[in-house]
Amino acid sequence: MVARGQKRKLHREDGGGGSARESQLQSVLDISMDKFLRDQALVEPCLLRSVLINNTLRQVQSEVRAQVESLSPVKIPTKLKPEPDFTQLSPPAEHNASLSSPNAENTEDDFMVWTSEEDFSLSSAISAILKDLDAVIDAGQGPCASQRAPLRSVENLTPCPLRTERTSAVASFAKTELMCPVRPQDAALDKLLLDIDTSVFEPELNLLQGFSVTADDLVKYLPSLSKSPSASSSSSLVSNGQAMWEIQEIEHVMDILMRTYPQS
Amino acid sequence: MMAGVGGGNDFQWCFSQVKGAIDEDVAEADIISTVEFNYSGELLATGDKGGRVVIFQREQESKNRLLSRGEYNVYSTFQSHEPEFDYLKSLEIEEKINKIRWLPQQNAAHFLLSANDKTIKLWKISERDKRAEGYNLKDEDGRLRDQFRITTLRVPVLMPMDLMVEASPRRIFANAHTYHINSISVNSDYETYLSADDLRINLWHLEITDRSFNIVDIKPANMEELTEVITAAECHPHQCNVFVYSSSKGTIRLCDMRAAALCDRHSKFFEEPEDPSSRSFFSEIISSISDVKFSHSGRYMMTRDYLSVKVWDLNMENRPVETYQVHEYLRSKLCSLYENDCIFDKFECCWNGSDSAIMTGSYNNFFRMFDRNTRRDITLEASRENSKPRAMLKPRKVCTGGKRKKDEISVDSLDFNKKILHTAWHPKENVIAVAATNNLYIFQDKIN
Repeated sequence: MVARGQKRKLHREDGGGGSARESQLQSVLDISMDKFLRDQALVEPCLLRSVLINNTLRQVQSEVRAQVESLSPVKIPTKLKPEPDFTQLSPPAEHNASLSSPNAENTEDDFMVWTSEEDFSLSSAISAILKDLDAVIDAGQGPCASQRAPLRSVENLTPCPLRTERTSAVASFAKTELMCPVRPQDAALDKLLLDIDTSVFEPELNLLQGFSVTADDLVKYLPSLSKSPSASSSSSLVSNGQAMWEIQEIEHVMDILMRTYPQS
Repeated sequence: MMAGVGGGNDFQWCFSQVKGAIDEDVAEADIISTVEFNYSGELLATGDKGGRVVIFQREQESKNRLLSRGEYNVYSTFQSHEPEFDYLKSLEIEEKINKIRWLPQQNAAHFLLSANDKTIKLWKISERDKRAEGYNLKDEDGRLRDQFRITTLRVPVLMPMDLMVEASPRRIFANAHTYHINSISVNSDYETYLSADDLRINLWHLEITDRSFNIVDIKPANMEELTEVITAAECHPHQCNVFVYSSSKGTIRLCDMRAAALCDRHSKFFEEPEDPSSRSFFSEIISSISDVKFSHSGRYMMTRDYLSVKVWDLNMENRPVETYQVHEYLRSKLCSLYENDCIFDKFECCWNGSDSAIMTGSYNNFFRMFDRNTRRDITLEASRENSKPRAMLKPRKVCTGGKRKKDEISVDSLDFNKKILHTAWHPKENVIAVAATNNLYIFQDKIN
């Protein structure tokens, strides 16, 4: 078992300033997405304002991407040995039990000891989300935005057992979502939110229903990223199978990226 | 007591007049959206969100009132633009007047250009103080006389009448802008003018309304690649072939119309390198230039971004020669200002007649003046409380932290709904016009 404190220190290069930066990153992301969506609803949004907000969103996006990239390459080399206690696809109950610990630090530790393959897949899933965010921004600028498949980055990965599981799980979401009638420029945004939203709030949601994304939905979702992982994980403690667990992982990773790392 | 800015050490700014309703409840249509003195300073024009133009004229200086200059009184009011509907795009076009620019006076009449988001109009403002009486073919009330009843001829006589000021639209320059017009600028040749929207700049001839030349086009082939827009443009005051335009990324491009028909390639590119230590998520937004103005001399230009005013020497592109902080205390509040949209406010700036001082607005109805020679600056407030005739304006100060002194106001107490976006300085004298929402304040120096 890898010592818990050691790994965390590798990422703490920016010291205390990192937490302020992350909370500002979260605020800017929240506010920018809210403004972006509100402007999309207008018939003729102000072009200067749209350009400035889009550029800010891109900046946030690249910062998140940089943080994700700084996570995955560091973990892989140190965790190549298979961990008997933490093999992939541990039963949801067991994994959820570890996540449901009320102590935020413990849940972080559980995140830290996931296998390298899981981390890599998670990073890729996050990259997929970020690409979707990119597509949303691009879609907002014109009616002829290119539509990208949400699974592209995951599909391009080298095969691994977990990936297969996850791909199928997410693929099932994607298939059902494709049946929903949406406007072309909303499709990318819908895909993004579908990946995240259903897992957190409405696990039983009938995905065949057409749904429209409102700013409230997004705002409702995004602040939850900054909740403590224990709270969010306990509220989503439902034994719905692998798919739910995987989506929660993605959410958990986003959560970790956005909030304060506790002092070691 | 801080000496005044703009005219020497014995200088104090005093309240002169305020125009507009006192009501707390401000009608949206009454919000002033542009202020401009004409070339002589005799006339002061304002445009509002309701599409109206109000022109004030300075009365002749009275010999009885030696201690004050002439007051500005309403000279003419007219509806310049009406709301329109673009049926093709299902869009309403606002009647709000974005800019007014005067033409130099060439005869008894006055001419100005007024622009909303899509259309520019040339207005002629003329006086009529005589009326002809004694027509042969019609009665005094205008009815035609029976021709068989006319037995004698008489010469009509010009009789004085009450002064009537008429405003009539002489030219309408329409259908040339897909995006919203942000600037108009009359060229020094007095024959042409330019109009700029978010992505294009057009050159017009004042006599020709059915066509214009597109001289700058920054629209990308794929709108998804758009990351920068035009925010302001102005013609050089003396060189009729030179103009500048500013961008949302804090850059200014100077173009020479002799170099090419299309000025997409600039002659000079002005940009200050970013200070990496002050980089934040809002760096780009606050660097967006909201106004650009040439000095009267034509040697300098001034730009306004969210937190500062910069003076550039046209001969030096890599950085401004002077930078003045308008409200640096807002730098730590940028996230909140982004959230409440204040960060997108477009403040204007202006030079005094001799280019020795510059002025710009801020929040809480504060406005700032900077003396370029003494490097002194002053913050004043446009408020009804200080509106006694010839009352001296007291300098204001914002407390940024620690102990707040008496008469200081803390940053958190500033009213961000009271913003001074539009100011104008008389071309020859120390008289300034400051638009505070729906009120127009006129201040002048105290004559010693």
